[in-house]
Amino acid sequence: MKETLLLTKHMRENPENSHLIEVYEKNNGYSAAKKALKENNPGEIIEEIKTSNIRGRGGAGFPTGVKWGFLAEDEERYLVINADESEPGTFKDRILLERDPHQLIEGVIITCFASNISKAFIYVRGEYAKPARRVQDAVEQAYEKGYLGKNIFDSGKDLEVVVHLGAGAYICGEETALLNSLEGRRGEPRLKPPYFPAVKGLYNKPTLVNNVETISSVPWIINNSGKDYANLGVEGSTGTRIFSLSGHVNTPGNFEIEMGCSFGEFIDTFGKGIRENKSVKAYIPGGASAPWFTGEQLDIKMTIDDVADAGSMLGSGAVVVMDEDTNLVLAAKSIVSFFAHESCGQCTPCREGTTWLEMILDRIASGRGRASDIDLLLDVCDNISPGLTWPPKMTTICPLGPSAVSPITSLMHSFREEVESLLPRKVLINNE
Amino acid sequence: MTWDSKLIKKAEEIIKLYPQKRSALGPLLYLAQNKEGYIDDDSVVEISNLLGITEVQVRSVASFYTMYKQEPTGKYLLSVCKSISCEINNSKEVIGGIKEFTGLSSNETDPEKTFTFEEVECIGACGGAPAVQVNYETIEGVTPEKALDLCKYLKEEEPKVIVADDLQEKFGGIKSFEWAIEDNSGTSTTAPGFQIIGTAEEN
Amino acid sequence: MSEEIKFTVNGTELEAKSGELLIEACENSGIHIPRFCWHKRLEPVGMCRMCLVEVETPRGKALVPSCTTEITEDLVVDTESEVVKKAQEGILEFLLINHPLDCPVCDKAGECPLQDQTMAYGPGESRFVEEKRHFEKPIPISEIILLDRERCILCARCTRFSDEISGDPLIEFIQRGNKTEVNTFPNEPFRSYFSGNTVQICPVGALTSTSYRFKARPWDLKSISSTCNCCSVGCSIELNTSQNKMLRILGEDNEFTNQGWLSDKGRYNFDYLHSENRVLNILEKNDDSFNEISTSEAIKKITSKVKELKNPNIKFLIGSHSTNEEYFVINQISNHLNKDKFLSKEKSNVYFCDDLLSRGYFEEKYTQATFEDLDKSETIVLWSEDIKDNLPVLYLRIKKAVRNGAKLIVFGHTNTAIAGLADFYFGKDVVSNNFDLMLNPAELKDFKNNVEGKRVTAIVGKAAVSQKKESLDKLVDYLNEISELKLFNSFSKGNTFGALQNIHEIKGLNEFSTEFDNEEKNIVFTIGVNPVNSSYFGKAIKENLIAADYVISLDLFINDTTELADLILPTTSLGEKEGTITNMEMRVMKQNKILPAPGSTLSEWEYLIGILNAMGINIEYKNEIEINADLVRDYSDKESLPTFDNLNKPSNLYGVINTKPINITTKDLKKQDFPLLMVRRLYGDSSTQINSPSISMLGSERFIELNSSTAEKYGISSKVGNFIQGSNSISIKIDINNLLPDDLVIAPINRRGFENIDPSKDFEITEARNREELSVN
Ligand SMILES: Cc1cc2nc3c(=O)[nH]c(=O)nc-3n(C[C@H](O)[C@H](O)[C@H](O)COP(=O)(O)O)c2cc1C
Ligand code: SF4
Ligand code: FES
Repeated sequence: MKETLLLTKHMRENPENSHLIEVYEKNNGYSAAKKALKENNPGEIIEEIKTSNIRGRGGAGFPTGVKWGFLAEDEERYLVINADESEPGTFKDRILLERDPHQLIEGVIITCFASNISKAFIYVRGEYAKPARRVQDAVEQAYEKGYLGKNIFDSGKDLEVVVHLGAGAYICGEETALLNSLEGRRGEPRLKPPYFPAVKGLYNKPTLVNNVETISSVPWIINNSGKDYANLGVEGSTGTRIFSLSGHVNTPGNFEIEMGCSFGEFIDTFGKGIRENKSVKAYIPGGASAPWFTGEQLDIKMTIDDVADAGSMLGSGAVVVMDEDTNLVLAAKSIVSFFAHESCGQCTPCREGTTWLEMILDRIASGRGRASDIDLLLDVCDNISPGLTWPPKMTTICPLGPSAVSPITSLMHSFREEVESLLPRKVLINNE
Repeated sequence: MTWDSKLIKKAEEIIKLYPQKRSALGPLLYLAQNKEGYIDDDSVVEISNLLGITEVQVRSVASFYTMYKQEPTGKYLLSVCKSISCEINNSKEVIGGIKEFTGLSSNETDPEKTFTFEEVECIGACGGAPAVQVNYETIEGVTPEKALDLCKYLKEEEPKVIVADDLQEKFGGIKSFEWAIEDNSGTSTTAPGFQIIGTAEEN
Repeated sequence: MSEEIKFTVNGTELEAKSGELLIEACENSGIHIPRFCWHKRLEPVGMCRMCLVEVETPRGKALVPSCTTEITEDLVVDTESEVVKKAQEGILEFLLINHPLDCPVCDKAGECPLQDQTMAYGPGESRFVEEKRHFEKPIPISEIILLDRERCILCARCTRFSDEISGDPLIEFIQRGNKTEVNTFPNEPFRSYFSGNTVQICPVGALTSTSYRFKARPWDLKSISSTCNCCSVGCSIELNTSQNKMLRILGEDNEFTNQGWLSDKGRYNFDYLHSENRVLNILEKNDDSFNEISTSEAIKKITSKVKELKNPNIKFLIGSHSTNEEYFVINQISNHLNKDKFLSKEKSNVYFCDDLLSRGYFEEKYTQATFEDLDKSETIVLWSEDIKDNLPVLYLRIKKAVRNGAKLIVFGHTNTAIAGLADFYFGKDVVSNNFDLMLNPAELKDFKNNVEGKRVTAIVGKAAVSQKKESLDKLVDYLNEISELKLFNSFSKGNTFGALQNIHEIKGLNEFSTEFDNEEKNIVFTIGVNPVNSSYFGKAIKENLIAADYVISLDLFINDTTELADLILPTTSLGEKEGTITNMEMRVMKQNKILPAPGSTLSEWEYLIGILNAMGINIEYKNEIEINADLVRDYSDKESLPTFDNLNKPSNLYGVINTKPINITTKDLKKQDFPLLMVRRLYGDSSTQINSPSISMLGSERFIELNSSTAEKYGISSKVGNFIQGSNSISIKIDINNLLPDDLVIAPINRRGFENIDPSKDFEITEARNREELSVN
């Protein structure tokens, strides 16, 4: 099994300075933009993206072409690149920003041309200082070249790009929170409906919000074709995807593959197995929000739909592997604390519930648990995500609150004894 | 006026980048942080005047985001990740070591204002867990021992500029991915080094 | 929008307007859905999640917040399913885990939505064993509001109110997630004219008023609906008393007028009712002090004075706090007492105490506006005195209309507080420092384009005492010709329109000053007015009162005006009398009585009728109902008369719009170019306010406003200084307001220290050497 390099090809082949415009251009960079702006009309580009069947790489997996099609008519429209990557376990956008910023900018140019947009924002999480510098440098280089600014590529079109730094708030990855943040407000998700910023987004104007990886794929699709792209991967999960592998594997990292292989193969091939030859106790298939799979579930296929059918999600493409010695209560607590810390605080269940869950887990982990705590945990979870089903039902505005439920239901579903062993004996007697 | 004309000019340039003034709030808060090491009340007043919103609106936004510091920070902001990949890769020990060396609990600053220490959520360096940031410059694969060396180095050498590649070389280990060519830009304040705020070269 | 559609709730088919929110539509059909964050008058935020209900979707049942879900055709809703109940119970448990449950010491207990809903929907016992979130107990966030963050459930009602409705977002969420709290900025207290509304809409006891703190339990309160007459908007209010004390005033949601809101002045200006300074017995002046006498003695003194003086002029200087019934009686007594002298219309002897009174626009050719028209108009034109200070709730209504898309055009110098909302602000290039319109309205392109052929609501009135009426005429007549104009005369004081409707001929203070002839015999009645310290004409009025042969003041307090009286007749006030009042829409509304008249106070009409009777004129009224029955005869629309009967019907919470002919005589001032513009601020040193301890400090600051180049001209660079005119030197705060034209300086007229300042005379402003005391009281 091998990687298929579309997005990471240029950086692999030019490891020294793939981020410079000279190098990028020498390797055929900006050819897609030039071609698109000269030869295509916007409709054709959108068609090409639709044909590619690429689905958003930010986590929700919504078909990109369809989303572009929703963009409402208006004189003012915006493109916002979601480079807020903060989902624990995920670091794939970071490599694209740091190592190949021009690929992203080229994608931005084509996307804006296709959707008749003349102002784009790249919202980079504040902690990504270095990647953000790289993107800013690249944007400046592109301006100098005339690829951004007025009359780009002599096409008569203008395009302004602003790189905007976030400031430490995971929730700003949620697209409507991101827009609020970009408007200089608290990063609180907006009410749905409208379901898509494409209808009403930044400054209440139609806005496309797309992930870094999604837009970085656009130049390849235009240089080749939507059909070529669709031929990679499997139906419903076409093209390649950069997976971030971390945890107890020997060689963590970002790996670009066609979707469709199993998690076990992926972990063995690219992670070179588990450190000290231990076995996998559990793994997270798609970032901290995703329910966990166990070491017995390694043959699940890495496609959006297979993972969904198995009760979790491919999400942001972050695979976190936990070996046999992992204290799963602490692992779950770490994830729950994350969501409690990152809750924007609007919704009562998320604001109060996630913190409460964290407190209960803390109690259990430190041996102060009560016999009733398992029921309590599950019931609090149920009040955030009624029925504890997947995909989650929500009593909240956005899925962040329900995300905190995932590790707990995973724990209770597959590793209940581990939790019980930390509780006073009474619970065992009660259960008998 | 607590902001000098140079800073105001910079602020005005930033404001121009956006279709609506208020969007510049985030970048302006970084200017304040770059200047004072935190979002001081005077800067809040200044920003509220520049953007035509109230002081408490500025404060409301500033306090929502963890990178805008509400209190003065030390020269070096040490952020250690405690999220899942780092957690299962022993970040606790790194945290313990740094706590012991600096004598600080989370979100504290020492009296000399050398260090501010914080435990943070995922900084996107999961492949290089456990990871640490110094003034938002990332170091990956930090062992508890290396973390102590890092603290010592910062305390003794007091480097003016924080460059990720330097520190990675000295104190880091396994990385999330190959970082490619050396990068000499960095930061000299507890605000991230980024052009419109000011990178190390500019400051 | 208003199309009726069908939807189903709990198996019953109901009707609603399409686009209506589920929570409201259910409410209208008698199905109550619990809620905390949702408030009818605020944008929904769907934050508390208490109002979750189940709706059917193509993908099965889904929980949705009913406060953000719009009704669509054939929507099927379940508000009582097990899932809904479980969710609501869960939300309440979440809200309570960090709530202090200090109900025994909480002002809100007994009328607390959180308490009520916990009873109705809540879990039995808390499963939360951890420590609750702690904050410092109540912290003052302004002079009149306290904040207890522990009790706050983060519903964002207060923050939304101050952002959306009042437009002074001084209270906000700080921090995020579980650490979120509501707070103000350290050096920027919650000083809003409307802050009390947040106390009223807070669903828990997190925001409380200093004036009501620990005063009562809701179950001990008596309450009655009434109408505020702090300004001529006429907000609907609820008076709360206990043991014959007024304890609280709440805003009532009157769709047509205040929509639930009040200004803090209207809400908190009531402690004076129980002030120990209040005059409760009749006082007669002997040399320099007052002695108490009885009512019959007093009436005898007055009648014998009238006889003794042999046909004196009898003048009435009236204020804006009387009821229509009282004005009606004033009209009668003035006619009867002056029978011999003043029969012709030109010789009216009733003077209305408002410097800005002008003839107004009441002729047939002008169409009277209602507040509703603001929402329906395409353009709103404003040229008047400062409405935020003088008609505060009208300011809210304009703000709302603008938010919903109306264009706002403001003519300059006095309304800089609303200028930020305006699409066009016509300042110094259009309006001279003497308030002349320097250009023809038609020459203002932006103006013309936005009014020509459009639905326009205009609010017009003199902006300054020196303004010529002619300058307004130009604007109004142009608008009347070119647009579909509806018009408000912006007379702002209390029941001005009631006075205008019920007194057949009314004059202004200019007339009172100039028509006063010391050679003749004069008796003056002052009725609830204190012009000596709050009018441009104050000095002249004072001289006239001193020169008058006999002065009778009907009032609540001894003040700069009433201390000049020979006789003070103590009167009743808000909540102590019954009657009607008329607002600036000509809407007549009811004021109700809930408190007994204290001491030997009587209502104004009772004294006046007593005097008439003593003089042998046989007019008899046993009570206000009888007067009302008499006065409604003059209203033009006979179908809906504002009788007590009609107004007491619940349907008439909204009042009745009805008109009577209006006849005002005022002349412009001769002198026009005043370097000083004296304006009335919401808070000041009115006798009622300075005798209301909970708000008396609010009107104490002395300041001037001017633009920066004028400041430079005066050589001022600091924020404090002295205002000097002749022997008067007043220490002042200096506010720079660059919307003001050069050379115009604004000062408050209703502040101690400024009562002796003559705006038509020269003055100096100097920098203060050190920060001296800027406030009095
Ligand atoms: C809590 C939350 C966090 C998210 N974080 C990110 C993120 O960090 N990066 C991202 O691209 N999308 C993130 N998303 C998804 C975005 O809302 C949005 O779907 C995405 O940016 C759309 O781009 P795409 O269609 O290209 O995937 C997040 C969503 C949620 C609910
Ligand atoms: S679920 Fe949590 S993060 Fe999402 S909007 Fe509600 S409070 Fe904010
Ligand atoms: S009332 Fe609907 S969410 Fe609060």
